[in-house]
Amino acid sequence: MKIPESSLIDTMGPESIENWTSFNGYVLLHELETGFDVKFTIDEIMDVTTIADIKRHLKNKGIIFD
Amino acid sequence: MNSEKTLSYFINESEKLVGKKFKKKIRIALLSSYTVNGLKEIVQVKCAEYGISAFIYEGPYNQYSQEILNVNSNFYKFKPDIVFLIIDSRGIFDELYHFPYLKPIDQKKILITEKISEINYLVDFFTKQSNATMIISNLNIPTDSPYGISEQKLDYGLSDMIQEFNSALNFKYKNSEHIAILDFNSFVSKHGEDNIFDPKQYFFGDIRINIKFLPQYGEEIMKFLISFLGLTKKCLVLDLDNTLWGGIVGEDGFNGIKLGPEPPGNVFVEFQKTILSLHQRGIILAINSKNNFDDAMQVIRKHPYMILNENHFSSIKINWNDKVSNIKQIAEELNIGLDSIVFLDDDKVNQEFVKSTLPDVFVPELPEDPSMYSKYLQNLIQFSILKITNEDKQRGKMYSQQKIRNELKISSPDLTTFLKKLNLKITIKKVDEFSLPRVSQLILKTNQFNLTTKRYQESEINLMINDPNFFIGYVNVKDKFGDNGITGVFIIKKESKKIWIIDTFLLSCRVMGRDIEKGMFVYIVNEAKKHNIGQIKSKFIPTQKNKPIEDFLPNCNFKKEDDYWTYMIESELPFPKFLELEV
Repeated sequence: MKIPESSLIDTMGPESIENWTSFNGYVLLHELETGFDVKFTIDEIMDVTTIADIKRHLKNKGIIFD
Repeated sequence: MNSEKTLSYFINESEKLVGKKFKKKIRIALLSSYTVNGLKEIVQVKCAEYGISAFIYEGPYNQYSQEILNVNSNFYKFKPDIVFLIIDSRGIFDELYHFPYLKPIDQKKILITEKISEINYLVDFFTKQSNATMIISNLNIPTDSPYGISEQKLDYGLSDMIQEFNSALNFKYKNSEHIAILDFNSFVSKHGEDNIFDPKQYFFGDIRINIKFLPQYGEEIMKFLISFLGLTKKCLVLDLDNTLWGGIVGEDGFNGIKLGPEPPGNVFVEFQKTILSLHQRGIILAINSKNNFDDAMQVIRKHPYMILNENHFSSIKINWNDKVSNIKQIAEELNIGLDSIVFLDDDKVNQEFVKSTLPDVFVPELPEDPSMYSKYLQNLIQFSILKITNEDKQRGKMYSQQKIRNELKISSPDLTTFLKKLNLKITIKKVDEFSLPRVSQLILKTNQFNLTTKRYQESEINLMINDPNFFIGYVNVKDKFGDNGITGVFIIKKESKKIWIIDTFLLSCRVMGRDIEKGMFVYIVNEAKKHNIGQIKSKFIPTQKNKPIEDFLPNCNFKKEDDYWTYMIESELPFPKFLELEV
């Protein structure tokens, strides 16, 4: 999505990241599913509007970020 | 197997392509009834790997009919060279997809006819507006049925309906120049319905090809683009030890190599069968092996389980020279470009050596496990061809005859004696619907003996055939060893009542060096005389590859004037003595 890692903050989402389209957002979740070997439900996918939401759902699956 | 990269890789790589230009260009339109976001980036990146700049138009979501039926649509404004119409069973069958037994059989039959007519109508409308090629996806047959295991006992269920639709689509466009079918049903079978269709992606965003498999779908599209752009490879150069058989003949001996009905020898028997099947559809075979000639030839000539024999190979290099020199010699002997060659060798060092020294040669990384060789070769898209011509089927044999011709050449004291001994006969005819596919193929692929290297698609040539301002002919060459098939093409533009211009003049590399071109040109001169033409003009457009034709115009008494070379009709140019002409 062309965002430098250092400038990412939890409250960011489609509103603040121009390239976070519905499709790109899904590709990101798909990559996380593959990378962490987890599955998001369709409810979780629809619920994601910020980076914090993604972290929360990952945490529920046992993936915790520092 | 062919490990594919992820969609994110392609999305990221496509951004790096901005501003990059490649030699070849293609304009592609993607019209789809469902979400195929990401496909554009995949195709762009894959095209770049082949040195092609791909300009891609994505039609608005599920508006393919509107785009095709509106002559002012952005789709037509884009002027595509090739269009992919991506549809699927859900979109076409709508309610019936879930409730296939809601209607009586006769009504369902009518419905199928209507659905096919709808597609045909769109295609007809499209072909009247555009000369572009259209590739239509056929429909996948779903494995789930509300009737479960009793589906097979029912008359005309969903799978029957879809099969009928697919067959009708195939039948209708089998001989079409503009239209071809992308077999989506086989694509789904190959990768598995449960992999391709991910319900979550479907409900989330109407994604019907799982984004995990979208790069593989991109590969299907590449097959058509490779063929469309004439990038299909012609020749397979093969290593022997641990490639055509298991083990090393020099060490393991004739009886010790692995080749036969038992594992692991059976994998090499299967691999040879796959190679033979490629040869039978026109791929030229050659050997490039570091070995004692006699040891290796004993296996090729005498081993009971060899599938390939000496006659299948048009060039055999079994020696201790390096693999690169051998490949260069093979290319020279067969008169083909290095970019027409695929080199298969199990040895990673040889692969790397050839790849880095001869970047034009395609060197696939054979799998570690030889049991995967056959599947790997079948999956290579470099041999993709949309339409196999009769010349293709005969090519392997023709090149083997070439090997004998070359032997005759060595035994003849001079070129004229050799050419006389060949009993050359050429037939020149106007291009018609039967010769069109081969003529188009030559126009798209011939590099070396090509005066202007203009590329025309089959549809464009067809327009010229029916245009009285053009005169398009082909030449068929025969000699005492066999029929070389259609090997030369010319396109004359009738510029005025006094002047003809050579738009295209080419000869396949397999018949170069026999003065066929002079015969062709004298024939054109004689036709020009019949029409009271005073001058024939031509340009020579030099490329990196067409050096063999650079002296053709001066050799035929053309004189250079400005941009054009001019031949005055009264110049006397004799027909080559050792050629016999049939018209």
